Amino acid sequence: MKYMNLSITKIHEAILKGEVTPLELVKEAIEACKKDDNNSFEYICEKEAIERVDKLDESKKDSLLYGIPVVIKDNYSTKDIPTTGSSNMLNGYVPIFSSEVVLRLEKAGAIVVAKATMDELAMGGSGTTGHLGITYNPWDKSKTHLIGGSSCGSASSVAAGIVPFSIGSDTGDSVRKPASYGALVGFKPSWGRISRFGLFPFATSLDHVAYFTRNVEDSAILLNVLAGRDDKDFSSSFKPVEDYTARLNESVKGKKIAVIKEIMDSISNTSIKEAFNKNIAALKNLGAIVEPVSIDHKLLKAIYPTYIIISCAESTSNNANLDGVKFGPRESGESFEEIMTNTRSKGFSRLIKRRFVIGGYSLLKENQDELFVRAQKCRRLIVDAFNKVFEKYDAIYCPASPKVAPLVSSDSDALSDEYLIADNYMAFANMGGFPSITLPLGFEDNLPFGGNLTGKPFDESGVLSIAKVIENCTGLKDLVAKEGK
Amino acid sequence: MEFEAVIGLEIHVEMKTKSKMFSSGPVSYGEDPNTEVNVVDMGFPGVMPVVNKQAVINAIRVSNALHMSIDDVVMFERKNYFYSDLPKGYQITQQFRPIGSNGYLIITTSQGERKIGIERLHMEEDTCKQLHSWDFSLLDYNRAGIPLIEIVSRPDLRTGEEAAKYVEKIRSIVSFLDVSDGKMEEGSLRCDVNISLREKGTEKFGTKVEIKNLNSIANIQKAIDFEISRQSIILDFGGVIEQETRRFDEGSKETVLMRVKTDAVDYKYFTEPNIAPIKLSKEFIDEAIRTSPELAEVKLERYKSLGLNEYDSNLLLADKDISNYYDEAIISGANPKLLANWIIGDVQSVLNKDGISIKSFKVSPSLLSELVLLIEQGKVSNKQAREFFAKMIENPISPKKLLEESGTSLISDEDTLKAIVKEVVDANEQSVIDYKNGKDRALGFIVGQIMKKTQGKANPGLTSKLVLEEIKRR
Repeated sequence: MKYMNLSITKIHEAILKGEVTPLELVKEAIEACKKDDNNSFEYICEKEAIERVDKLDESKKDSLLYGIPVVIKDNYSTKDIPTTGSSNMLNGYVPIFSSEVVLRLEKAGAIVVAKATMDELAMGGSGTTGHLGITYNPWDKSKTHLIGGSSCGSASSVAAGIVPFSIGSDTGDSVRKPASYGALVGFKPSWGRISRFGLFPFATSLDHVAYFTRNVEDSAILLNVLAGRDDKDFSSSFKPVEDYTARLNESVKGKKIAVIKEIMDSISNTSIKEAFNKNIAALKNLGAIVEPVSIDHKLLKAIYPTYIIISCAESTSNNANLDGVKFGPRESGESFEEIMTNTRSKGFSRLIKRRFVIGGYSLLKENQDELFVRAQKCRRLIVDAFNKVFEKYDAIYCPASPKVAPLVSSDSDALSDEYLIADNYMAFANMGGFPSITLPLGFEDNLPFGGNLTGKPFDESGVLSIAKVIENCTGLKDLVAKEGK
Repeated sequence: MEFEAVIGLEIHVEMKTKSKMFSSGPVSYGEDPNTEVNVVDMGFPGVMPVVNKQAVINAIRVSNALHMSIDDVVMFERKNYFYSDLPKGYQITQQFRPIGSNGYLIITTSQGERKIGIERLHMEEDTCKQLHSWDFSLLDYNRAGIPLIEIVSRPDLRTGEEAAKYVEKIRSIVSFLDVSDGKMEEGSLRCDVNISLREKGTEKFGTKVEIKNLNSIANIQKAIDFEISRQSIILDFGGVIEQETRRFDEGSKETVLMRVKTDAVDYKYFTEPNIAPIKLSKEFIDEAIRTSPELAEVKLERYKSLGLNEYDSNLLLADKDISNYYDEAIISGANPKLLANWIIGDVQSVLNKDGISIKSFKVSPSLLSELVLLIEQGKVSNKQAREFFAKMIENPISPKKLLEESGTSLISDEDTLKAIVKEVVDANEQSVIDYKNGKDRALGFIVGQIMKKTQGKANPGLTSKLVLEEIKRR
């Protein structure tokens, strides 16, 4: 009997009934990790996981995550477990502290079984730029399609049924996009809802803790564990946490959902449009008020460049601690300048250096007003435009991507409307700190695609309740990429 | 040609808060290297800054003491540069909105009073300490993250003496406010000098030279005096002042070239995204000021109102800890002037002799005030008090207890003493006659006889008074 392809609640029931033990679950997950052929893992924590099972406190058996294996993206600091951010810059780095997310999961009884591959330092959307190379989409056994990134290994391990859930991070759409390509639920709660302490920063003001599950209920269960104030993260909110499962059975009747017209217009794929419209019709049938709403085309097109400037600028500074002086590999040199220059030149890939150059350039005194400050102003305009929609609507719903998972060989640098708007709009939720969830919508040639639902800041319960109805309508949940498909 | 110096100072003050500016790492001095460090101070990936509330309160208090306007929104920026002493590759500082701005300080020099403008006061974090050898460098992260306030004066200072007085006053302020030890020799107060010369009567600034590595107030004055003469000579001979950074060499008492300034570094400042702007309520700011420890000048007024003269007051105020000791001692209600005399005199001489600070002085303020009260009440003589004090230094026990043990409590009861006086005067009638005939010494003889009879326990003041009364009656 396999358990890792089940939901959190099902596995929990099996543990309570005594059908399976945490040790058996961990062994199943570890074996599956070892057999993984999608390049999902940086490090498999076999020894560490088994030791932790030994230390489980049986009196905490009622915790829903008790004994359940989890995969963590390699940009979360994990005590005594190598953490590289999939960058050569951090080869051999073993942190002496755990991130708050990992601490909370462990406190709830979850067992970390592996660290997942990612785009180097979370900068990238393809899942191809980490130091271990390309991570593949488990839905495509021919290894021609990507799972997407930057949380590629976290996505592929849940899509392949290796673990029931995994932790990723989302700065632009790094969880919500791969979720779309992997038939997963990818949830990014509000900025400040979950502590970022111990998450390697890429772009602080846009970074969010986010995660993958295979159904909406599991997403709510996880938020119950992860949400809440952490004194180590000054930006974490004092707002009281809720029981995020409480409103999962709420009716959608009378709820107002906006569909952004310009995003729909920029999508050409007919299967995606058809599935989306079918889903909308079903929601309307249940009494939801779904209406097209316009947002200035220019603002939507500005999301991507705004995101690039802000994220690159913040990333240059955030990664300045990686200099070979205190931790990580160190190259030799005659002076500290030489040591730093040699270490950073060797440690970072070309793509990362490109981002640093863009970021550094936009922060230079002579450019800052024109680039960085302007991008911040633009961010304000974008967030204002979406906030205006939220004045009248409970949520915004659109396809999460204009296409199914791209080919390994694809080159998506063409600045078409589809690329600039439909393929990159989801970063608006990072700019505004909005809770945003991607969930399966349909398949095209056996490859999945998803829809994305975004709500008002700290309205996680509201977003999850509508997402649950969407899930009921599509009937697409607990999907695992099958062998031989 | 006659020149005028234009001098501005940048002072860094290390705060002695419990924890660091943005981490819970401890603030301490003199510990083994790299033992007072947590993950935040090391800049490990994933760490985040948390603002130290006490540091903000301190900054408000110092800003207030410097008559500055206090910004009610606290914001921080990142100053980005690579250096071996900078753990994160950036320093969190307040570039765009310093918490304090536009203040001043009145200083008194040999030339009279002058008002020195202060441009800004901001909070930031310290870097780690470096020790360079010829082929290696050592890094001590204990200092990394210690809260700093930087105080930037306007270029209003004109002489080395003024600069020294200005620093002295800042030192007194941060020290009396319990913000910092303010010790230049230990680096808890650091000062950089910017100095240029211009022809007297002109407005245009000359080329600015920066002087670093000043480890005492005296050296600030010496360095500035030297620099003024160095630049004057160059200008007098038609030379040009280079924009450069110099350091003060203690041995030669001269400033020497460190580096010629090249183009200013672009620090790519931007707002620290982990710290959303903090709105300080009016109540918070008012409370910080209301509960602020007293400044020296406020204490001075208070001491004067207690009857102390300015000279004595200033002796107490020369050391914040001594004035705190005094403040604690006067709570008992002992005579403030008598207490001050004891502290300035007997206590200070013990401190000097043993080479210790008041903080390690064994006799507590309450014990000292107990002793002074006994003197006031006439229960012990000054001579006895000194004997007790000598014992208390060795073993700080209560002077009341010493008094009981010695059984030498003075006889101050008037009736008891009257009876003894009468008895002794009766027995020495000749002395009474002598006194009345103008032999003042006879009075001393009678008092001496009383002392002899009481084994020195008679209250001397009271005894003299009673003897005189008794003699007059005859």
